Amino acid sequence: MDILKNWRIHCIAFIIVIVCEWIGAKKIPLGPGVLLFLPMLYAMVIGGILSVPKLKVVKTAEMNLASAILGITTLMLVTKLGTVIGPLVVKVAQSGLALSLQELGHFLGTVILGLPIAIALGLGREAIGATFSIDREPNIAIISEKYGLSSPEGRGVMSIYICGTLFGAVWLGLLAGYLAALGIFHPYALAMGAGVGSGSMMAAASGAIKSVFPDKANEILMYAGASNLLTTIIGIYFSLFVSLPVTEKLYTLLKPILGRKNDSKEADA
Amino acid sequence: MNFRDMFIALVLIGIMTTTGNVIGYNMPAGEAAIGYAIMLIITLLGVGLTHVIPIKLPMVFWVSIVALLVTSPISPIATTITFYTSKVDFLALCTPILAYAGLAIGKDLEAFKKMSWKIIVVALAVYTGTFLCATAIAQIMLHFEGLI
Repeated sequence: MDILKNWRIHCIAFIIVIVCEWIGAKKIPLGPGVLLFLPMLYAMVIGGILSVPKLKVVKTAEMNLASAILGITTLMLVTKLGTVIGPLVVKVAQSGLALSLQELGHFLGTVILGLPIAIALGLGREAIGATFSIDREPNIAIISEKYGLSSPEGRGVMSIYICGTLFGAVWLGLLAGYLAALGIFHPYALAMGAGVGSGSMMAAASGAIKSVFPDKANEILMYAGASNLLTTIIGIYFSLFVSLPVTEKLYTLLKPILGRKNDSKEADA
Repeated sequence: MNFRDMFIALVLIGIMTTTGNVIGYNMPAGEAAIGYAIMLIITLLGVGLTHVIPIKLPMVFWVSIVALLVTSPISPIATTITFYTSKVDFLALCTPILAYAGLAIGKDLEAFKKMSWKIIVVALAVYTGTFLCATAIAQIMLHFEGLI
């Protein structure tokens, strides 16, 4: 794959960046909070619209290249956060207990909220693959190995993966900005919550929190970065050895209670 | 992706980041460019370590370790490095990355169109759940430890 041969896609990306940064962040009041729109969200939406196959602006090869570039460049986010954490490493260690325990929220939060809803909506075993984790690449590998990707569990994990690629970052960016503006949670707690284990989703969420509390920017990025690192690395093992078996158990337990009758064969994932 | 392509990709993102950094966040272009170059070296070192060290850990881990070590209090060059890297705004770095994320969406749209609305609701619940549960536990623990 020659990265420069597809130079058009980089020009498109560059123009998107210039336009989005030029527009700048916008706040729209909604109920008790505000919806915070950051340049990165416009960038994703504009990019997404331009990539609609019908418009024929972006070719499939270019989309694949964009996807490969995304995988590599999220590492720069990790580096940036590392350089924020480094000088504050003592402070991170001081909050080690809070950081470690909130990871349980990351690992089990998907099941706690997702599984009952999935079962109540009538999903079958898709619900297990869909809700046992945040369903990024390492989690797909786990499901693929255990059930195969054409199984119901495989369809579940792939569906949430695609949703995450499409609107995970936009959703978490808006949600985090809204919650931050509401003032229920402390910005540090929100920052830890933002470390969900996906580069783009973490970026959108922590970026929104940082924009609401600009005077605490460094601490917010520090907690989000540390939490994201823990989620990414421990998450692989946790989702394999704990989340998946727990989700299976809960599924067999909850299905008769929450599930609808006669929909055991329904597979509309 | 080979090392050469990786390097080119990171340089391209660097040009976009430093440009956006000037337009959106009024950061000095020269210092931010140096900051980005330092971050690029850290990233490539981390990627290199992933290939050299036989213990199998994700790239994210080694890149973080390098970034942490060179900026932690034990590093003699920490202040110089953070002086420059702090000139690269986190949000300016996010914009080009999410632009590429957007440009890659088209290839998943066909599969997405075939999905039922139910799975979209489940997806929103999954992302909300992980974020909210972790935030709630963090809030309780930080309060309990007297850190907030």
